[in-house]
Amino acid sequence: MNIYSYIIRRLLYVIPVLLGVCLIIFILFNVLSPDPTLIMLGKHASKTQMMELRAELKLDRPWFIQYIDIVRSTFTFDFGRSWSTKQEISEMIKNGAIPSLTVTLPAFLVSFVLSISISLFVSFYRGKIIDRSIVFVCVALMSISSLAYILYGQMFFAFQLGWFEISGYESGFPDFIPYVLLPILIWVVLSVGPDVRFYRTIILDEVYQDYVRTARAKGLAESTIMFKHVLKNAMVSIITYVVIRIPFLILGSLLIESFFSIPGLGGIILNAINSSDFPVLKAMTVLSALAYIIFSVITDVLYTIVDPRVRLK
Amino acid sequence: MTEKILEVKDLVVEFKTDRGKITAVNGVNFEVFKGKTLGIVGESGSGKSVTALSIMRLIPSPPGNVAGGTISYRGKNVLDIPLDQMRTIRGNEIAMIFQEPMTSLNPVFTVGNQIEEVLELHQPELDRDQRKEKAIEMLRLVGIPSPENRVGEYPHQLSGGMRQRVMIAMSLACEPDILIADEPTTALDVTIQAQILELMNKLQREMGMGIVMITHDLGVVAETCDDVAVMYCGQIVEQSDVKTLFNNPKHPYTKGLIDSIPSFDSTTGGAKGRLPTIEGMVPSLFDLPEGCNFQNRCKSVTEKCRGPHGEPKLTEINPGEFVRCFHPLS
Repeated sequence: MNIYSYIIRRLLYVIPVLLGVCLIIFILFNVLSPDPTLIMLGKHASKTQMMELRAELKLDRPWFIQYIDIVRSTFTFDFGRSWSTKQEISEMIKNGAIPSLTVTLPAFLVSFVLSISISLFVSFYRGKIIDRSIVFVCVALMSISSLAYILYGQMFFAFQLGWFEISGYESGFPDFIPYVLLPILIWVVLSVGPDVRFYRTIILDEVYQDYVRTARAKGLAESTIMFKHVLKNAMVSIITYVVIRIPFLILGSLLIESFFSIPGLGGIILNAINSSDFPVLKAMTVLSALAYIIFSVITDVLYTIVDPRVRLK
Repeated sequence: MTEKILEVKDLVVEFKTDRGKITAVNGVNFEVFKGKTLGIVGESGSGKSVTALSIMRLIPSPPGNVAGGTISYRGKNVLDIPLDQMRTIRGNEIAMIFQEPMTSLNPVFTVGNQIEEVLELHQPELDRDQRKEKAIEMLRLVGIPSPENRVGEYPHQLSGGMRQRVMIAMSLACEPDILIADEPTTALDVTIQAQILELMNKLQREMGMGIVMITHDLGVVAETCDDVAVMYCGQIVEQSDVKTLFNNPKHPYTKGLIDSIPSFDSTTGGAKGRLPTIEGMVPSLFDLPEGCNFQNRCKSVTEKCRGPHGEPKLTEINPGEFVRCFHPLS
């Protein structure tokens, strides 16, 4: 079986999964949740007002029609308008995704390259003092609350030293750059600790394999062994860990975005939760489910490229 | 006498463990000649693999380190030369094949790629096409059918015997002077084992390399070796040419090993009798007895073996025939 028909078949599997996601969204928002009209109008609303609003929000229709509505919006990507801001939701997502990605994408790439390099380095010096000190620093970095990084970063680096903007955002390249530097830095510091520890474990699993001894017996230099033989074998586990985190980059980071006033999707989700803005929440749920499914397909495809033992069945 | 290419003198290898330091190899001496095969025989833990790895300087350090002795390859001590120079010897002049063909090849590269890698390293004058050609030629040489197709396959697509052939092809690609084979057939079926040994003998006749054959199987020794060193607890207990060793073993341990080879028409057993074994266990390296290391398992043990005279020395009782025993068999 060739790789293209494999990808197509895997993508076809996405359809039933999305239908299931729609069902869960329907149960959560249309069946189990409290009446949204009560939340929107307050407890003193009259019966007629509530009925009118229900009709306006199309909540008075039979339940299977409501389910079909969710399915349709999922597949057409037309989620209607926000209850609280009355904006087109697809527009909101588009506007929010870009600021989120300007922070998360560079942060993700930098921390990935940095973590892999550090882990190869410490694996090379496994057990030595340099390895132990770096692992110690990683644990220390992990153990400090992210709030501490944000607050001290804003206060010390941004306010006192004036290296970065304290918070805010300006759209358009390159105007956004001074605003995203500190959030990126904090993201990198936050993720390097756990990542290095994880990659180091994976790489050390490989370092003691027999094929590494064979590679040494061939006369290869240690750096070639690490970067070629060990890294490619470790890639399978690394891919699982990394690729599945990519969808969450689009959604941004709730904490960092709210502290740095970055108008990303994280902030939109937060507002939607606070104001019980169900259409926005539904849209975000569909979006994250879709992204997750697509990236798990990508993960599987990458396996077949990295590991020849994986068969396409 | 043919040319001497490798000489190991008084090799001592120590390992640090949680329970203290152990001496895995304790004063080993041997020589390897061009076109000849030296067998190193012993049980698990006798130090034979550690000896082999020391020649390649592949002892994992820490915990291991070579504490003494010299390993002279063509007159220079490989223990002294810098590591980057050692890398030009590894895989090029001294090559090694390992016991586990299943795991010794890298699973994510094609076998051709792995053979070409060693060529790229040691024969940079070859271009890509020449390397590929040479890889196919090597695969053909080790008897892999349709090597043009096999060269693009991954290790998991090959059987254990085929993988060991690939290992041999890879180790011989640069026509080394010395091939160290660390139990090359242990993980293989007996029929495949015979083929691999026959292949190694054939390639040795063609290429003239010296082979160090590490094994616990005296059958393998009988089939391939010219000279044999029997190791026990990190020391050589008997060393001679293969005929003398089998016909007239001097050390009780060697005799025990030879007697415990299953054979159909053996006078001691025949088809019905029990196979003789060497009673007892190898002593722990942490807790070696005073005197002879073999005393607790030896049939001809006397008071002399148990202490006051120290341990027996390796002595040449006949020309070219060494034994480490107070009471060598006649």
